[in-house]
Amino acid sequence: MRFIFICLITILILPSNVLAEKFLDIQEVTSKSGVKAWLVEDSSIPVIAMKFSFRGMGSKTDSIAKQGLARLVSNTMDEGAGELKSQEFQQILRNQSITLHFNASRDNFGGTLKTLTRNKDEAFKLLKLALANPRFDEEPLNRMRASNKSRIKSSLSNPKWIAARLQNDIIFSGHPYSLNSGGTLSSLDNITQADLREFHSKLGKNQLVIGVSGDITTDELKAVLDDVFGDMPIVETKESESFALQNAGRSYLYKQDIPQSIIKISQKGISRQDDDYYAAQIMNFILGESGFGSRLMEEIREKRGLTYGIYSYFHEYEQTNALHVSTSTVNDKVPEMLALINDEWDKMLAKPVSEKELKDAKSYLIGSMPLSLTSTGAIASILLSLQLDELAIDYLDLRKNKLDKVTIKQVQEAAKRVLDKDSFTTILVGNPKGFENAEIITKLPNVE
Amino acid sequence: MKKIILISLAILFCAPPVFAKKTIANKIFNAKSYMLNNGLQVIVVENHRAPVITHMIWYRVGAADEPYGQSGIAHFLEHLMFKGQKHPILGDLKSGEFSKIVRSLGGNDNAFTSQDYTAYFQSISKDEIERVMKMEAGRMRGMSIPLEEFNSEKKVIGEERRQRTDNDPRAQMSEQMREALFPNHPYAIPIIGWMHEIEGLTYQGVMNFYNKYYAPNNAILVVSGDVKASQVYEIAKRTYGIIKRADTPKRERIKSPPFIAKTSITLEHPTIKEAVFRRTYRVASARQNKQESIALEVLEDIIGGGSTSRLYKSLVVEQKIATNIAVSYNSAAWNDATLSIAATPASKEQITDVKNAIDAELRKLINDGVSDQELSQSITRMQSDAIYARDSLTGPAMIIGYSLITGSSLDDIEYWAQDIQGVTKEQIREVASKYLNPDAPYITPPVEGFLLPEIKPEIKGGDK
Repeated sequence: MRFIFICLITILILPSNVLAEKFLDIQEVTSKSGVKAWLVEDSSIPVIAMKFSFRGMGSKTDSIAKQGLARLVSNTMDEGAGELKSQEFQQILRNQSITLHFNASRDNFGGTLKTLTRNKDEAFKLLKLALANPRFDEEPLNRMRASNKSRIKSSLSNPKWIAARLQNDIIFSGHPYSLNSGGTLSSLDNITQADLREFHSKLGKNQLVIGVSGDITTDELKAVLDDVFGDMPIVETKESESFALQNAGRSYLYKQDIPQSIIKISQKGISRQDDDYYAAQIMNFILGESGFGSRLMEEIREKRGLTYGIYSYFHEYEQTNALHVSTSTVNDKVPEMLALINDEWDKMLAKPVSEKELKDAKSYLIGSMPLSLTSTGAIASILLSLQLDELAIDYLDLRKNKLDKVTIKQVQEAAKRVLDKDSFTTILVGNPKGFENAEIITKLPNVE
Repeated sequence: MKKIILISLAILFCAPPVFAKKTIANKIFNAKSYMLNNGLQVIVVENHRAPVITHMIWYRVGAADEPYGQSGIAHFLEHLMFKGQKHPILGDLKSGEFSKIVRSLGGNDNAFTSQDYTAYFQSISKDEIERVMKMEAGRMRGMSIPLEEFNSEKKVIGEERRQRTDNDPRAQMSEQMREALFPNHPYAIPIIGWMHEIEGLTYQGVMNFYNKYYAPNNAILVVSGDVKASQVYEIAKRTYGIIKRADTPKRERIKSPPFIAKTSITLEHPTIKEAVFRRTYRVASARQNKQESIALEVLEDIIGGGSTSRLYKSLVVEQKIATNIAVSYNSAAWNDATLSIAATPASKEQITDVKNAIDAELRKLINDGVSDQELSQSITRMQSDAIYARDSLTGPAMIIGYSLITGSSLDDIEYWAQDIQGVTKEQIREVASKYLNPDAPYITPPVEGFLLPEIKPEIKGGDK
């Protein structure tokens, strides 16, 4: 990685809070045919990583009857392409130690390629083949279908998975985000080769976002971008509308005979492009994101021993934003746990954070940034997510300054804008006592 | 979180590193090694990609060193190490302050416990290296915690056990399989401890364990990142260097008797909807037999490494009697290592077919061996993994730490690629035949686990 230092004289004439070095030397590379990527060159290790996404093509494009389609496409796109059948394709990847796979989040359809420099030609060739001409043969399709159904059935003994399934179904009710992105036992059976091909035909280069890191030059990358992505079609895209979380203020219980209850709470979040995002991020760091040292962890784990872990975290989706709390406790302590979480919301709203809390939060949020730059793949992921969030190429530099300027008052204003315990949607899985008011769920939605 | 109980991490980094041009002895990490006067070994891997370091201290004590009947004490101690410390020169910290300071300096910290070791680490800006070394050295012999912290942490560990094990029938079955695999040996005991024994642990008991085992001559320091090796050595001398050596006990583990019967465990559970077959063998660890362990690593890759490996190809792609199968061998153990096979049958009725098909593949391996092509492809692949292993800050420190602390040498790690290059088809056949032969009497019988949906009429899915 290169950290560019500008000369000392320049530093002297700048105000001291302007950081005088570039955090990460990101280049925007545009190929002849117009495919763009962000690149961080680094030849210290002979490895290249590429991460890309087709924006808007994630699981939210699934229909109810065929939920799991985007996921199933991602599972089968690396199972044979062109003349190469599944085992042949996979054998080349394995023999050359190339990682190539696809994935589907709720919003986007993406892929990852990682290769040793010496095998890069083969790696890019296989990626191009998989993108342009996937086979979607019956054999791997049926194998992946069986594997997904098996995964779903296995998950039914995992209370955390059950809680997450309910959470998505309930807070996103009425929106495609509420569907089971991994498919249901019946919907997976509805999906045919023709469905996979149709999905694939909707991937276009105008949806692409690409991040690349490692042992490759800009000129090499330009040629690769044209070769791999240049022939992809231009497709129709549509604007996505924003959407509010549903079922605010309600509690749900799925009873399971386990000693410890899983607790998930959701309320509205904040967009990464929002002016108050930095203040909100600091507020949430102090509240519950930081793990040890956060207020939730201090009060609930360290002082009372009620849990092994409790976290609050923002989750940004293309069409909505959420603030989630995730924890677990022995069944008979659930009411106490929920009351304590409510108390922390009240405290954050009632009283400004301390100088020390603000200082420590900034120090961590700024100081820990280089820890995310320690592998080729991690850097490529950052480049991808910055672009998916439509942030500027110098965002990481701006972020330091913006975080640094946040005041206690701004943190409190952000708390007032974001925190709203009355709108909590609470999901419990387990056998907690005293939840007569909760709505009892007896059948998991979008599983069978 | 304080706490990753291990094993899984070790598996993650299992393929130690390296690569090799046949003639030149390339080291994977090029680590520098020093020894302090008090017996602390210091290892440094320089990596200047980003201005950060990972600092790890590994103690040669784990769950398998606990006094009988006090399971969970090593892991409990790991939690308590964050609860306060006192040292006249290195400084005092209050309960919880250690992690808070690390965080306020932009770093992350954590710890984990395994059967054979306990490790603590921080990843942080290179500018803070002396600060974290001072704090870590300060708690090597200076842990000092109020009694009330002990009591409240006991509850946290109860929650941790419920979260990891008691809420999860798979984990419960694994625990019981391990218990059966290591009769009379301390590896039988779960790292986190049995709940009733955790509840009985005393403040004094944990302190005694700490005082007995935590000392510079019973530890290894590993630092990787943007720092000069000589600089780490100098800081180590003025921080860890002032801690006195202690008379730590020699590790002597009791042995398992030569059992001859195979053990099979069956769990029928109401929340299980998908059957699982597992089988775990006791095999050689790297410390016990380096050559065998390297051959086992290649064997693991050939039979279980991904979707074109022998077992997946046969059971999942061709016969379609399983939807998934995985093999894991973790060579880093002081005593016997384990090799596990886990498979999901396509239907619960096919669980016996899956077991028989695995045996058929093992017989084929033992009778016919592997092909030249399989062997050379596997060697190339594993040597490539060694290059990828360098593409990380914490990875190299992990690999070096768990290898050294379980008895391998630095050269074993650095020259792993050459050693892999030397593996022969005959060696693979021999380890397969010695440890995995379904037809010959086992040295130690493996343990099989059958996790099944409950057969008796259910009261109803989630509503009882």
